[in-house]
Amino acid sequence: MSVVLFRVDERLIHGQVVVGWARKLRPRRIVVVDDALAEDELEQSIYRTGIPEGIDADFWSEREAVRALPAVLKSSERVFVLTADLATMAHLTLEVEGIQEVNVGCLHHGDGRRVLPYVRLDEGDERLIDEMSDRGVRVVARDVPSSAPTQLGAQARG
Amino acid sequence: MTGRCGVVVAHGRLADGLLSALSRVAGEQDSLWALSNEGLTGADLEARITSILTDRCAGRDAYLLSDMEGGSCGQACRRLLAKGTVKAILYGVNLPLLVEFVFLQDESFERFVTAAVEKGRRSLGVHA
Repeated sequence: MSVVLFRVDERLIHGQVVVGWARKLRPRRIVVVDDALAEDELEQSIYRTGIPEGIDADFWSEREAVRALPAVLKSSERVFVLTADLATMAHLTLEVEGIQEVNVGCLHHGDGRRVLPYVRLDEGDERLIDEMSDRGVRVVARDVPSSAPTQLGAQARG
Repeated sequence: MTGRCGVVVAHGRLADGLLSALSRVAGEQDSLWALSNEGLTGADLEARITSILTDRCAGRDAYLLSDMEGGSCGQACRRLLAKGTVKAILYGVNLPLLVEFVFLQDESFERFVTAAVEKGRRSLGVHA
């Protein structure tokens, strides 16, 4: 598989992604899937400043991602796919075949249950994770590669 | 000259540590404050920065000093610059740059930003 990381992270392109994960997995391209960001050139330029040399970035709408990701999955290019929320990633796992594992990074938003120092999940989030798990997708929280992975979802909760 | 003030925005405890170090070499300051992105969304971080500047920096030119150009700290700073909340962002902040920030209060904007960043840049090197 050429997509070397599918990650949900409200900060999208930030230190943990471009330092922690990119130094380990050496992507050639980062694809951000986000409808609002795909239309916002100022925000895109802000995110691009964090990207190391040698890595390209694309900002796709969900519709574009559903259309283009199957070819990316078959290609030999090393790619990170990032979404800011679980709903967008759950949608991708529903529409695009071949997504086996989803990494969860920073999700600090809202008043949900604190699962890890960097992950809060409300009922809607838990439901989305269970839906992905039911489709055979492993959902694993891990902020940086040196952290211990924590599997999320009903199966992990027992 | 209205004077300058700023918020150091950085990962982990770096901002606190930098200002602690600054106080040891330059004395206590009433122009710089520290903020970490720990546990904050981008919107939270912007709100905290804005709150600090509103409460403590009124009447002075506001600056942001971030640890990296990119990353969540740098991104929040860029959004506030785009909104006109601050006059400039100095990124890649280190202790020599902060010392210049404190001691170049009376210089013009251009001389101040050029000298501060140049000092920070020239402070990197290797002895082997």
